[in-house]
Amino acid sequence: MGEREKVVEDRVLEVLREWEEYARRGNWRPRGYRIIRGPAGNTKVGEEREEEFMVVYRPHGVLYHHSLGKVSKFFRGLIEGKLYGTRCPRCGTVYCPARAHCWNPSCKAQPTEWVELPPSGKVHTFSIMLFSAEAFLEHLPFVLGYVQIDGAHTALPIQILTSPTHVWVGQRVRIKFREERKGELMDIYAVPVPGQEPPKWSCLHADAKAMEDLRRDLEKTYEFLQERFGITREMVMKRWEAPGE
Amino acid sequence: MTKVAVVGGGLFRPDRVRYEVAEEGVAEAYRMLLEEVPELDPRDIEFVQCSYFSDHLNQQLCMSWIVQDYIGHHRKPGYRVEAGGSTPLDALINAYFLIKSGEYDLILVVGWEWMSEVDTATTNEFIAAASDTDWDFTVGGYYNGYYAALEVRHMQLYGETVEDLGRLAVRNRNNAVHNPYSQWRSEHGTSYVTLDDYFKDRIVAWPYRRWNCALISEGAAVLLLASEKVARKYSDAPMWIEGVGLGTDSMRPGDRLVDWPYKGAYPEDEERYPSFVERPLTPYPEMANFGFAREAARQAYRRAGITHPVRELDLAELFAPYDGVELCLYEDLLWCPRGEGKTMVREGTVMRGGELPCQLSGGLTAFAHPVGATSLLQTLFLYWELAERIPEKFGDPKLQVSGAEKALLTGHGGTGCQGGVIVFSR
Ligand SMILES: [Zn+2]
Repeated sequence: MGEREKVVEDRVLEVLREWEEYARRGNWRPRGYRIIRGPAGNTKVGEEREEEFMVVYRPHGVLYHHSLGKVSKFFRGLIEGKLYGTRCPRCGTVYCPARAHCWNPSCKAQPTEWVELPPSGKVHTFSIMLFSAEAFLEHLPFVLGYVQIDGAHTALPIQILTSPTHVWVGQRVRIKFREERKGELMDIYAVPVPGQEPPKWSCLHADAKAMEDLRRDLEKTYEFLQERFGITREMVMKRWEAPGE
Repeated sequence: MTKVAVVGGGLFRPDRVRYEVAEEGVAEAYRMLLEEVPELDPRDIEFVQCSYFSDHLNQQLCMSWIVQDYIGHHRKPGYRVEAGGSTPLDALINAYFLIKSGEYDLILVVGWEWMSEVDTATTNEFIAAASDTDWDFTVGGYYNGYYAALEVRHMQLYGETVEDLGRLAVRNRNNAVHNPYSQWRSEHGTSYVTLDDYFKDRIVAWPYRRWNCALISEGAAVLLLASEKVARKYSDAPMWIEGVGLGTDSMRPGDRLVDWPYKGAYPEDEERYPSFVERPLTPYPEMANFGFAREAARQAYRRAGITHPVRELDLAELFAPYDGVELCLYEDLLWCPRGEGKTMVREGTVMRGGELPCQLSGGLTAFAHPVGATSLLQTLFLYWELAERIPEKFGDPKLQVSGAEKALLTGHGGTGCQGGVIVFSR
């Protein structure tokens, strides 16, 4: 930190202390090894011969400090419970995800202006996650949505808290803020506006077999959650009860 | 300007885990090339074009320096290119440009990826670091989720079903069992699978099941590229690069609803946008199609003189880390009108024995996907196809397209953020 900068707000001291430890432990030096007898050689399948290999285990721990740049206001907005986008004064495009410069070639990298957006929008597309990377396993099953916030022209990636069989393209949603917020997109989530029925053309709902298979595999996800984390089906369903207003 | 050809290649068989390390795997692939092409004196190689994707996966930066010296090609010019899944295709196209420019006559293209040194969840995380880590990454979908969302959009607009995705998953496996270098065969043997088997497989990110998703692999491939002047010295059956094309789209797929550079570029595709959903400001490609592929295909076809791709091409190896990508690519590669991708599956056009079979190798979901080597493995497969050497190479004639003369390769990275197309001929 140089003389020309000063910390305006600091919410990182505890994390720094915690990560000092990880950084020291995660310093790339081998911590152990295994000798593995495994298939070797450049052959077709089934023609391998065995060889012994030494496999070392090396950690890597690191804590990045990353500026969110000129769109910092969007992420600070999340902490304040506000949703911001940016608007190009030349062509009128409204960006959420925010961009500090317009990407319309005719606008010649025109700097944009901040606009506050309403906590509502519609689902542009989605996927229903029944398996995920480690950090999100406890959130399973979750819906990853690309939601077009009302007034914006682009779509924002956001989790939709809904029964995984109650989501479709064009569904109206409200944006909600979590109690505890860190200034990242997981601070917010979307919930369906109540009282909506899927349209007849909804690709998931129009295909009875697809829906039946999805329900069957959701059962396996619930079993996994119970086994691994002790999360019951009731606890999962509770998440979807957030009022949609 | 000189023509450029692929005149030989080799591979280090990809699998989920290989205990030889990258440079040793590359050396084995390189040995296969040298055995194949006894006329090749290593000293004739003028440039080494390296291709690998992730620095995170192996705790090693500048891995290409290790590889290039390991096979004794240091002192010569050489460098790495990197662009996610597009990496090996870009390496190939870069080598093509270098020869085309007249600077070099003989280039070794070397690609590899070692993806199992961290646990699977971390591998997926490291790969997802190729998405925008301030935005898309943070909501936890990673590539399974992004691609599933893209497919839902296309499915909703144009009406393919999960059964169409299943047909492609089954096709890839039933091709891969005839490929003795395929990861599917290594893990599952040589029995055919059926659509019923597909529907028993686990859903990971609806509409995708595990079988619809790319493999995690460790493996390597090398290709020898030559100018017209020297090509025949190394191969009796050079595979000529007739045309290449490159294209890009936005980093974040959600931004493609207002994809200004694409505005008005493809009016026919904008017209084929269904009216039952709200129309984004830029209806093509938006989140349903791959604009980079359209751009790249048009350039490649023009340079290769292709006017009726389905009729003129004999086979294709596509970059489809998820099966729905293929349905979109058929449309973006101008094989059929927008929205008709599903018809090419249902009518069998892209199946083995069809008019334009795709993924005969098994593709990214059943052959292998060691990222930095993937398009090179597919190119090597096409090289053997156009030379009609599949029966000899695989000990099995099933995957040989008899009399094949022209083939297409496409590759891309991210969610179609960057990619290209190459048209080859015998
Ligand atoms: Zn503008």
